[in-house]
Amino acid sequence: MLAAVRPHSWDLAVFVHVIGAMTLVGGLITAAAAGIVGWRDAAGGLRRFSALTLFGVAFPGWIVMRVGAQWAYAREGWDNVPDKLQPTWLGIGYLTADIGGLVLLIALVLGGIGLRRARSGRGARLLRASTALAAILIAVYVVSVWAMGGKPS
Amino acid sequence: MTYAIAAVGFYDWMLALHLLSAFSVAAALVLYGVLVFSGRRSSASLEHARLLFRIAPVATPLIAAGTVLVLIFGVILAIDSDQFEIWDGWVIAGIVLWGLLGAVGRRTGAYYTEVQELAERDGGAAEQEVIARLRAPAGAVLHFATLVVFVLIVLDMLFKPGA
Repeated sequence: MLAAVRPHSWDLAVFVHVIGAMTLVGGLITAAAAGIVGWRDAAGGLRRFSALTLFGVAFPGWIVMRVGAQWAYAREGWDNVPDKLQPTWLGIGYLTADIGGLVLLIALVLGGIGLRRARSGRGARLLRASTALAAILIAVYVVSVWAMGGKPS
Repeated sequence: MTYAIAAVGFYDWMLALHLLSAFSVAAALVLYGVLVFSGRRSSASLEHARLLFRIAPVATPLIAAGTVLVLIFGVILAIDSDQFEIWDGWVIAGIVLWGLLGAVGRRTGAYYTEVQELAERDGGAAEQEVIARLRAPAGAVLHFATLVVFVLIVLDMLFKPGA
């Protein structure tokens, strides 16, 4: 991750943001992979695995990513810059992080209900819906990672 | 979006692709990490192990393409940048750690490939062996070492010691 040399006082906040984002994307890919591979399975082992990964990996990753983002935002002094003058990449980052967070929350709720119903052999549709949302979120966060690196002005 | 893409220069495109490649490696490592963790649970069975090994191939193209591309785009960035050079200490450290990541990662991959081959065989003896190997610390330690090297690379790339 070679980049422009930034003031070292920003580094830790950016590190927290990046590690959180990597965990989030990894969790989403793991959850989507498990859900898609097990999409048609009669037994729901992989679908449950998918939902549990969203809870145990993607969600904590999102929290760390979002906390790191806000910390980096403050460190870099963006809170002193009027909204109209803030660059496009920052807007893309905020939009994808927050709307993505909302979609992740919906996926977690669907997955949670699906896991509960899976105990009585139901809930497959809800778990599939949760997987589908995880797959959509991967696309959203790929755009976000591109924007953080490419920094469109 | 057209304006946004038009506003991205060559260096920034390379940086974005470098970052996406790094995320590809990170995603594969997280996926393997979840499988390693899940395989070590006390409730793990041969059936559970086979389920886990069905997901593992998703990470193969991510880590294979990611590790190669992250280096290629990184070298392009170092050549193109006027702020740092490819012979800067932190860039060389990154390349050395990248080599170490590949070496440790290959050993981890070989360990779990062997366990997977064992899991795909039939028989009760294989089941005992698969569970024992999944729970053994060797695989988890190797994967943890891979993660540590990866985090060191991220730290090196972000903190750029000496720059």
